[in-house]
Formats: sequence, C-alpha cells, structure tokens
Amino acid sequence: MLVAAAVLVVSLVLFSIATATLWWMMSAWRTPEMLASTTFGQPDGRCGLSFSLLLPARHEQGVLEHTVHRLLESTHDDYEVIIITGHDDPETTQIADKLAELAPDKIRVVIDTNEIKSKAKALNAALPLCRGDIIGVFDAEDIVHPDLLVHVDYAFRSRQADVVQGGVQLINFHSSWYSLRNCLEYFFWFRSRLHLQAEKGFITLGGNTVFIKTDLIREIGGWDPNCLAEDCELGVRVSSGGGKVVVAYEPQIVTREETPDSVTSLFKQRTRWNQGFLQVYRKADWKQLPTNRQRGLARFTLATPFFQALSGLAVPAGILIGIFVNVPIWVAMISWLPAVPAFLVLAFEIAALHDFGREYQLRVKAIHYFKLIIGTPFYQVILMGAALRAVWREATGRNDWELTRHVGAHLVAPAPTSTSPMQTV
Amino acid sequence: MSTVLERPAERSKRAKARETQFLGRSMDFWICAGLVAVVLLVQAWNIADYPTVSDDEGTYLAQAWAVQHGLGMAPYTYWFDHPPLGWMQIATLSWIPALFFHGHQLVVAYARIIMLPVSAVSTVLVYTLARRMTLPRWAAALAVGFFALSPLSVTLQREIFLDNFAVMWMLVAFTFMYSPRRHLWHHVAAGICAAFAVLSKETMLIAVPALVVALWQNAGRSTRKYSLVGFTAALGLVLIQYPLYAVLKGELFEGNGHVSLIGGIVYQMSRPGSGSIFAAQSSSYAVFHAWMYYDSVLIVGGVVATVIALAFRHLRPVAIAAALLTLVAMRPSGYLPAMYVIQVLPFFALVLAGLAERLVAFLLRYRAHPVFWEQVVRMVLVGLVAAAAAFYVVPKWVSGDRVADTADPNAGYQQAATWVAAHIKDPAGKRILVDDGLWLDMVKDGFHPGRGAIWFFKADLDPSVKNALAKHGGWRAIDYIVSTPMIRQNTFDLPTVQAALDHSRVLVSFGTGANQIQIREINR
Repeated sequence: MLVAAAVLVVSLVLFSIATATLWWMMSAWRTPEMLASTTFGQPDGRCGLSFSLLLPARHEQGVLEHTVHRLLESTHDDYEVIIITGHDDPETTQIADKLAELAPDKIRVVIDTNEIKSKAKALNAALPLCRGDIIGVFDAEDIVHPDLLVHVDYAFRSRQADVVQGGVQLINFHSSWYSLRNCLEYFFWFRSRLHLQAEKGFITLGGNTVFIKTDLIREIGGWDPNCLAEDCELGVRVSSGGGKVVVAYEPQIVTREETPDSVTSLFKQRTRWNQGFLQVYRKADWKQLPTNRQRGLARFTLATPFFQALSGLAVPAGILIGIFVNVPIWVAMISWLPAVPAFLVLAFEIAALHDFGREYQLRVKAIHYFKLIIGTPFYQVILMGAALRAVWREATGRNDWELTRHVGAHLVAPAPTSTSPMQTV
Repeated sequence: MSTVLERPAERSKRAKARETQFLGRSMDFWICAGLVAVVLLVQAWNIADYPTVSDDEGTYLAQAWAVQHGLGMAPYTYWFDHPPLGWMQIATLSWIPALFFHGHQLVVAYARIIMLPVSAVSTVLVYTLARRMTLPRWAAALAVGFFALSPLSVTLQREIFLDNFAVMWMLVAFTFMYSPRRHLWHHVAAGICAAFAVLSKETMLIAVPALVVALWQNAGRSTRKYSLVGFTAALGLVLIQYPLYAVLKGELFEGNGHVSLIGGIVYQMSRPGSGSIFAAQSSSYAVFHAWMYYDSVLIVGGVVATVIALAFRHLRPVAIAAALLTLVAMRPSGYLPAMYVIQVLPFFALVLAGLAERLVAFLLRYRAHPVFWEQVVRMVLVGLVAAAAAFYVVPKWVSGDRVADTADPNAGYQQAATWVAAHIKDPAGKRILVDDGLWLDMVKDGFHPGRGAIWFFKADLDPSVKNALAKHGGWRAIDYIVSTPMIRQNTFDLPTVQAALDHSRVLVSFGTGANQIQIREINR
C-alpha cells in the first residue's frame, strides 16, 4: 500500500515536470505566427549604434585567429574588438598582439591580471575600456556571421531593448553520439525556450552572442566574478531589475560553435553550468521579480537541470516498478505515465534533428537518427552525473573554473557568408 | 518579429465574432443551443421503449457495472473482446439514470438516458466542425440535422453502443485538427482524442488516415512537421496503453488456460464473415437493409455525396473518412456489426451538407450578374431545389421519427423484469439464465451476479461458469430461464441452455409469436 502511494506520488510529480518541460521545449513551434515571431526583424540599413565586442581567450591560440578574421568581416561600420588574454598565457597574447597590429583601429588587447582566472573576471577587466554604446560578448571559437551586428543594431533601436540575445548553435553534430544530442539541446534552447523565457520576463542569458547596453552593465556593476555561470547570472539580474530582453534566432546569422571535445569535458562543462545555476538560485536576485508567476518560473528554470536528472532516473525506475513490483494494476499503469511525455520529447527531437539538418544544410543520415534514439539513456546518465556532481561541489564549497577545450571541429563545416539584404539595399 | 505575441490574424477573427452577437453570445452559440434542444427532445422521447433492447447494450452496461463495482473490466472474465475505454466512460456516466428513475424500470432501457449527453456533445461538435470547415451557418445546421435527426440516427444514437463514444471522440479529434490557430498542442490533443476513439471502439482506427489528411491541410507549413510528429506520437503513446495493460496482466500472448489480447484480436479478425451486403441471404445484407429501412436517404445520399466530395478540398478529409469506412463495410467477406453505421453518420452528414452548400453557391453565383431579376430567378431556383429535397425527405423522417418516439417493443422485457421482481422469492439462492438485456435487472433483484444471474451463453462458453454448473448437475442446477428471442436464436452451440429450455415449463409469457418472452421454471 505504501509502495503504491509512493509510486503514485512520484509518477504524478514526474509526469507534471516532464509535461512542463515538453511545453517549454516546443513553445516556438506552437503556431506558425509564433515561429515567425522568433526571428530578427528585417534591418532598416542604418548603423545607429557603436559596438565593443569582447573576446575572452584562454589557451585558444588554435581558433582565435580565425574568429577575429570573421569578426572583421562584419558589415557593420562602427565597432571595436577587444581580445582579453591572461598574463599567464603568452602564446594566446602573442597571437592577439599580432592580430591587433593587423587592424590597430579596430582591435585592442587587454591583459587580465587576476591570479585566479574566470570568464567573468576577464570581461570585467575589459569593461572600463569599452568605447561602444553596446557591449557584445563572444567566445574565442565562435563563428560569427558578418550581418549579425546590423541585425542586433536594428533590434536594439526598433524594440527599445536593454539586452539582445542572438542565437548560438552547436554545429558539429556528426562528431560523436553526444555532440548530436548536445547540438539538439542548443537548437531547442535558442530556437524555442529562450523566447518564451524572454516573453515571461525571466531569462538566463547565453554565454555569447549576447549584447547589452554599456551604460546598463556599468550601472549594475559588471559580471559576477564569483559565479560559475556568469551569463545566467547576468540575465537573472537584468530581468529582475526589469530590463527588457529581446531574443532573436535566425539560422542564417546564428553564431556557430562546437561541442566539448570529449565526454569528460562535456561532463565538466555541464557540472559548471549546473553549479552556476545553483549559485544563482542561492544568490536570490530572482526574488525581486515582481510577480509570483515569474518567481515560480525562476525557481523552475534554475532547478531544471536537477529535475532533468531526477526524471532520467525515475522514468526507468517507474517502468521497472510497473513490471516487477506487485502493485494494483491501475497503479502500475500510472507508473508508466511519465514515459508518455518523455517519449513525446524523443519524437519531437527526431523531428527537430530533421529540421536542424534542413536549416543548416547539413546531411542528416539514418545513422544519426539511430544514434539520437540509442544515445538518449546514456546522455541522461551524463546529465544526471553532472547534476549530482554540481550539488556535491557546491555543498563542499569547490567552485574553481573547469575550462572547456575546443579543437575547431565546427570550422570544417561550410561557414555562412554574407547574404545580407543590406548589400542589395 | 518579436517574442511579444502579435497575432493580427487571430485578433481580427475575434473581432469578427463580436460583430454578430446576441445577448452577449455569438449567433453560432444560439443556433447550436437550439439544435441541441431539438436533438435532445427527439432522441429522448420514448428512449426506453424504442428500439428493442440489444444484447450488446446489456453487455456493455454490465461491463460498466463491473468497472464501477471494482470487479475488473467485466462481470465475467474480460477476454479482450473490445478495448475497455467505452464502458469505462459508461461507468462514469452511470449515476445519471438514478437521478430520474427509482422504481422497477428495465435497467438497460432506462440507462439509455446516459447517451443523451453524448448526443448533445456530438451535435455541438458536428456544428463546430462544419463551421471550421468554412461551411456557412445554415449548412452547419443542415449537417446536424442529417447527423442527429435521421430516423437511423435517432434509433442508433440513443442505444448504449460503444460506437457512439468513438464517434464523439473522433469528432473532438477532427475539431482539434481544424484549430483556427493551427496550434501544435491542438494537433497533439487530436492524436490523444483519436486514440480515445479507437480505445472506445477499435473499428474507428479505419478513419484515422483521414485525420492525417486534415492535419496536412490545416497545419502551418513551417510547423507541419512538428504537428504531424506530435499527432502520431500522441496517438501511438495513448493506444499503446492497451497492450501495456495486457502485458501487466500477463495476458498479451495466447497461453494455456488464460485469455489474451492477441487471442481477442485473432477472434475479432477471424469472426465468421457475415457475407457481402450485395448478396441476398447473407446477414450483412440483412444488416444493410435494416439501415436502409430506417433511412435510405442518408445511406444512399451519403455514399454518392462521399464520392463527389472527394473532389472538393475543404470536404476531402471527412469524405476520406466516410469513404474508408464505407469501403470496409462493402468488403465481400468479414463481419459487419449492426451498429457499424454509427461511425460513418457524422461524415455522411458533413459531406451531404458540404455538397448542398456547394450546390446552392453554384446556383446563386455561377456566372451571376448583378441584375435584379436574375438574382430573383436564382433565388427561386434554390428555393425550388430545397423544397423538392424537403418534400422527398421530411415525410419519411417524420414518420420514421414518429415510430421511434411512440413504438414500444420493449414492453415484454419490462413485464418480464417486473414479474421476476414480484414473484421469485429468495433470489439470492436461485440461479436464473437470462440474456444480457435482463442481467442487470436480475442483479438488482438480488440474484448473485455471475453465479446466480447468468448470461445464458456463459453457461456453456465460460469454463469457470460451466464447471461450477457441472458440479451441481449441469442444467439441473438452474432454477429459471427467461426465454427471449435473443436466446432462442442462439442456442445451436449452447447445449446447457438448450437443455434448460427443453426441461422447463412456462410460468408466464408476454407478447406473442417470435417476439414472445417466457419465464420458465426448470423441471428437475
């Protein structure tokens, strides 16, 4: 009897979580109008704002040069690039200096002298030197589309935004079984979920292709150097303060990135994010949000990785209980219930993989669908492990920065060139 | 453009709806309310007395009774004859008759009142679906007329048949498919409702491809892929709960000494064919002609309209549903149940109304000139066509519906039930063989469900009942048998029932001829 009651409660809770996740995951595709509303507006052709683009680079000598060259191809005419390197990283600094000589009017190099490094500290080091109206953040391995700045410029002006989050997409889905799932996670996050978050007034920003008014970021005191997910934290602080965040995603001008180069580094990256989410939760800036709904949403969003881990564990457990434990048949039927939204998620992921291939002109073969399906439980295990490890690290007070290494696998894919309507205007 | 929702299309639709309001409600609301009132009046009048109580009604109601009393899916062993969702719904509605009836009314006949809410919901859905298919109000009302007021509909929709539940869910699914917002979750909901329809009556599966066509037509181009996946996955994930139930009971595959889902399906698929509807002498022919007897207009007109409607894009999905269901009914072999036609009624009604609208539009607008007298002539022409159609159809329907609202073929059943209640003492210790139509009355009188009140065919076909009787002398263990036409027509492979009939004397009989009902006492 006790077992039956426990199964019932757990199943219903899991079912609700899985259904809510499903709802959020698919929000952009609810109606054709909704999907159309997630893109950038068609720019008016003016460059009304100036940009300072921050590019923290740490042991990234392999990809930095390519990234900067891409940034210099931008069709916008008023921007500067600030490369931030560490004082203990002469190789990267050397390359940065060489690049600065190439275009001294556009590129500057800032050395971060903090003993213990983090991305937030690096960004804060460059903040006083920024001359643009808008600060944009990129990572050293990003492939940025030349038309992006023009679109962002227009979005700031036409929508009175305080923050604009552009789309980021992992591209190298063919590299391994986990990168396939990793790419899809980004697809759902930037294509769909963030838009709804922005609409509801609580958003965790992404780590790059994020643009913020220089005055605003100075006013709120820059990035939080103690938080492992400085991007998420910034978003929470901005939306809690009532700042207007605009999210826009367009496959043509999305920033392309690559997945972590091994399961271990994926695991470490995910641990860092999860721990960052925990830190943001504990910091409790979100409690200043005006409505109960928004605060509820904040709780739900920040707890998402842990729900995910829980459901990864409990769905198979529920199925096993249904089969092997002697409970009344209707309880057994209910223990299957969370599997329904879980399998719906999988079905939508398959559809999204097809869509992803279409939008990025990548060939998705049968083997990839197969990997997607087979990889599901294993990926769940990684997520679950990372969630548990994050809780463990936070509880024991370990919060050093574990860097994700990049090899440049996404550079192999054909990078998009400028197809801007700007040039025909 | 933005994450802030801007849906001008929807806003204008809402604005348009506001234009034609009356007492704070839209015109559609009032038309629908009027139609529901008429349908309920015609279908409720005389509901318990006509048509004759069918064995299937008794079976489903008894199974609902079992669900309600926590005895599993059926009062005897549930052998996966149909998915159980249909009578689970009956069980949830079974509190309704008790609100109205307290005496010794025939349980099954008076329980028909629970079909009225189903009819009302389906009526609203047919109207809504017709409107969403862009039909004007008069055509939507016409569709409701075909669907719920034809003598065939009045007769079958008031009976406790699983098909009526399946039709209701299928209509919900279609209505979701025509979501004006083209909403992904509406399409997912359509999948869930379609699964409910199939789990209410499995033959509804035949119409599911039509839903896919409706989805293809109605989903937005950019979101169609997700709608299709969502619909299919939701349908599959809900449907799979049925085999899952069988797995959990350990009854998926056939095995020694237990029933199974596979066994149930094999039985239904290999049910002795009832012949072709085109071959006189076959029982399919008889079933088909019974439908024709009730309303030939809807049957013949519906088939013809279905073929024509395939040519019109906005009618195509429902026409495909009607065509698929019709083709399966016309296959030369296989079993054709008498209530099968219920499933095709809404689709026939919609294609007929849709074509009527096309015809009127053609007469009024084809190469029309804005000349007064020409417009008048065209109007008169429409009036003539409508009058001719009404002249042909309405008298038939009125006389058919009058029969449905006045005849009383269930009087014998009622009298038998009343007699048993009044004259058989100590029912708890007696065994009585009855057909499904009287079983619940016997249970109500105090006979022990299953062992005391016995469905006649279980006495020979259910091993546990048969063995229990055999211990006490087979037919000699039985005290009474209520001999009805249903029993007399089915005794050829039921030796115990036949013996009980042979070794018994008539206590009392009601009615005359083939329809006579006799209460007989066994001579030991």
